Amino acid sequence: MTNREKYINAFVEGLEIAEDKVVGLEYQAIPEWDSVGHMSLVACIEDAFEIMMDTDDIVDFSSYEKGIEILKKYDVEI
Amino acid sequence: MRELEGKNILITGAGGGIGTAALEKLASNGGNIWACSHKKSDEFENKILELAEKNHVWIKPVYFDLKDEQAVKEQIASIAKEKLPIDVLINNAGMAHGGVFQMTSMETLKEVFQINFFSQIYITQLVSRLMMRRKRGVIINMASVGGVEAAEGYIAYGSSKAALIYATKALSKELGNMGIRVNAIAPGLVNTRMGHYKSDKEIERVLERTVLNRMAEPEEIAEAMVYLASDKAAFITGQVLVIDGGRLQS
Repeated sequence: MTNREKYINAFVEGLEIAEDKVVGLEYQAIPEWDSVGHMSLVACIEDAFEIMMDTDDIVDFSSYEKGIEILKKYDVEI
Repeated sequence: MRELEGKNILITGAGGGIGTAALEKLASNGGNIWACSHKKSDEFENKILELAEKNHVWIKPVYFDLKDEQAVKEQIASIAKEKLPIDVLINNAGMAHGGVFQMTSMETLKEVFQINFFSQIYITQLVSRLMMRRKRGVIINMASVGGVEAAEGYIAYGSSKAALIYATKALSKELGNMGIRVNAIAPGLVNTRMGHYKSDKEIERVLERTVLNRMAEPEEIAEAMVYLASDKAAFITGQVLVIDGGRLQS
């Protein structure tokens, strides 16, 4: 599985949404990505890439695109 | 059947008085343990080795300074990489401090809060994210009756423990829907080195107000940890279990 597939899969599992809804998604744009869903999504991303995100990054993680940018800090290229 | 058979427990302050008693109770009840301490010593390592063999569990020493957030994060991340679930987190580490308000520097206040509150919250943030993946977990915070009963001369310690009690209740609400229970234990005077931080005269005054007229033994506090960590307490969350020999009601 590529990093992009893992990243998309984290959204699918963490937010319990269909794969075709993931790309371009923004925080709170859908009911599933609320504050509770956000933590579940973060947990899935941390699990997928074996990282532990800083709290500031969790707060800044506001969209699908922003997540890709943040993950670069953890040496994860999507 | 041992109460904690197969459960994996992370406990901070494992080298202290209550921590040592906790290791014995948790291990004898079948719990596997990451025993966190700030200081490496042969005595500590020999103790956990002996306990692990005797009780047929694993106990791993983990060392970090609670004042060093990066070190805390690295150690928790290292534990996460073991891919073993953390079933129970016991935020047991703490420091005592006595001093009247006008004689307590901001530096001291921050240090006490760092150890007794901020570090506990930080570890809880990290570990609860691991627990959320499995939608289950237990968090036990070591508070104090000092955080419930206001007393002269304990502005730093009492406030830090009061903050931890508030956090316990608030986090129980935030994490409950993730299947994570959060409770606190609030001991009165305990017969440990930290318990004897107070002067003999002050201890005497506290014991006069304690219905059972004695200090708690650390094992009595550790028993409460076992109970709250076990499935027997499966419907208990957001609570502060006061173990003070009747001091608060007197």
